[in-house]
Amino acid sequence: MEVLSGWWDDFFWGSVVVAQVFLASLVLMVIFGLIGAAAKLSDSRFAQKIANGYTIVFRGTPEILVILLLYFGSAITLTAIAQLFNPEIKFLDVPPFWAGTIAIALIVGSYATETFRGAFLGVKPGSIEAAQALGMSTLQVFVYVRVPEMWRLALPAFGNHMLSLIKDTALISIIGLNETLFVAKQAIGTTGKPFTMYIVVGLIYLGFSTVITLTVMGLERYGHRHMRAAT
Amino acid sequence: MTSPQPLIQMQNVDKYFGNFQALKKINLSVSKGERIVVCGPSGSGKSTMIRCINRLEKHNGGTIIIDGIELTDDLKDLNAVRREVGMVFQSFNLFPHMTIMNNLMLAQKLVRKTPKAEAREVAMHYLERVKIPEQAEKYPIQLSGGQQQRVAIARALCMKPEVILFDEPTSALDPEMINEVLEVMVDLARDGMTMICVTHEMGFARSVADRVIFMDAGEIVEEAEPETFFNAPKNDRTKLFLSQILSH
Amino acid sequence: MSFDLPLIAEALPKMLMGIGLTFQLLVLSAILGLALAIGVMLMRISGKWYLSWLAQVYIYVFRGTPILVQIFIVYYGFPQLDFIREGFLWPIFRDPFGCAIVALTLNTGAYVSEILRGGVLGVDRGVLEAGEALGLSKSQRFIYLTTPIASRLALPAYGNDIISLLKSTALASTITLADMTGIARTIVAQTYAPYEIFISLAIVYMIVTFFLQKLLGRVERYLGRYTIREG
Repeated sequence: MEVLSGWWDDFFWGSVVVAQVFLASLVLMVIFGLIGAAAKLSDSRFAQKIANGYTIVFRGTPEILVILLLYFGSAITLTAIAQLFNPEIKFLDVPPFWAGTIAIALIVGSYATETFRGAFLGVKPGSIEAAQALGMSTLQVFVYVRVPEMWRLALPAFGNHMLSLIKDTALISIIGLNETLFVAKQAIGTTGKPFTMYIVVGLIYLGFSTVITLTVMGLERYGHRHMRAAT
Repeated sequence: MTSPQPLIQMQNVDKYFGNFQALKKINLSVSKGERIVVCGPSGSGKSTMIRCINRLEKHNGGTIIIDGIELTDDLKDLNAVRREVGMVFQSFNLFPHMTIMNNLMLAQKLVRKTPKAEAREVAMHYLERVKIPEQAEKYPIQLSGGQQQRVAIARALCMKPEVILFDEPTSALDPEMINEVLEVMVDLARDGMTMICVTHEMGFARSVADRVIFMDAGEIVEEAEPETFFNAPKNDRTKLFLSQILSH
Repeated sequence: MSFDLPLIAEALPKMLMGIGLTFQLLVLSAILGLALAIGVMLMRISGKWYLSWLAQVYIYVFRGTPILVQIFIVYYGFPQLDFIREGFLWPIFRDPFGCAIVALTLNTGAYVSEILRGGVLGVDRGVLEAGEALGLSKSQRFIYLTTPIASRLALPAYGNDIISLLKSTALASTITLADMTGIARTIVAQTYAPYEIFISLAIVYMIVTFFLQKLLGRVERYLGRYTIREG
């Protein structure tokens, strides 16, 4: 444990970065997923094609390739544009934080597309029809009947998507994001204790996963409260 | 051949699910060749009772003796008993991944160690008996509910059991399919098969049963020949049940 | 900016030289992972609390941490431990290929064991009772009823895991292995053409995914032949 002294605050700040990436990518992932699902469910052939292409590409490509492509690709484009104005500029990049966040949100968003689509289709037509028969407006039906039911159906898979996001943050260290795995690499450089350092990283991620899992379990219990028999 | 003791003997049998007592001091004896119909409201313990007879449920008190063998945790005895006791379920429970023929051959090969060719012959014989030999190479899902239940009966018969237990064999069927299954069961009864049948088919009970047993709240409330049972029930609970079930 | 087609024509054959390694990683860890998963699943449903507990801890740890961290612990971390360096398995842990196989196997094993458990739990209780009533022993029921039915139920999810595994093999490039991704990263470092290289490689991965899915679809149709009404 002694080798770790002096590195605790670095690991702490690395964890903060992990949390930040997670939260930012979570918001983006939901947006991408909802757009993708809406496109797949829309009547527009064109929108469906685009959405299908999106899911096929991001589900069939290794995560690390997407991250590398987004980071180095955007860097090369940015540099080229910048050089038009100032030929002195050698290298300009999108911060790894954002390149990585967008990359993992795009990847997991492609899975979320299917989850949201499935949840939308999974709502029983009976409850929708019943609500319409009671005279509720389309918007009311959507807000009070469809969304709560969709939420309940999507939650287990959504929990898995959140776990994917948190674990994918580790990949962003490859393009130089100073999260925990990156911190560990530096710590190993000075201490020469790779096992200790990577175990610490593993434990940090295990902690994050546990928090997410417990949260989802709590939400699921809340979402299923009407399905429990009276006690 | 005279059997010195009944084929099935249940003495003071209790069964608990947690704190809930599903069977209370059940006493029942069934001789070879007897046809028993068990009826009663849902949750009265009738399925539990017959499931105890082949130990799909373990009883918690009393004794159950089948063909001279007492039901205990002894696996050897249990296998011997299960070979003698066939069962037909409400939801058919055919093996979905096997053809009808393989459904009928599996236990013959594994349990009875019957050679394959002979097992096939036996299977075909009973498929003809339930009048669907032409379905032998199909999968269960390709058959109607009534056909599936007839296959399930044939599957039980292939093991040449001493007794067959029927657990509401027609309640999962569409009305138009009930008769084809009942016909097979009546046929079996005529041939002298020992049967214990949980069912609400009162017409079947009247025409086939030697005894009708009425259960309520885990107890055997009344036990009589069909004639007496339907025309002159003694217990009030039996009367109420019969009025509910026969009124429509 | 332009898309350098001759560069792709030159780089693609080089990258494809790594496809053999990619497949070795995929097939070897898929087979070993499946064997491990079966063992862990049996422990989980054994009814013995200590076996089940051990299996659950394993699953929890390997599903709760990033695969990249697992790979780093095995490859960079293990040599720090004396008993590993002096143990008889050292030839495996000294070799990056061995380390990649170990990490991928442990990772996929955790996911697949849960998939298999889902399949086993999905087998209709009534079917097993029918087997019991016919006198089939516990092991006969497991071999002739549970196994074939559970395999069919588990196959779609298992297929998804195989695709995930394919994508995870790309991470072997982070521990010096020259799989397709490893070669691509070297070429990008030399040519600085991330778009051309990474996009063409992504397409290669998508093609492999496509054929894997075709293959799995075939197996699914075969295992599910008894679920189709018309026959």
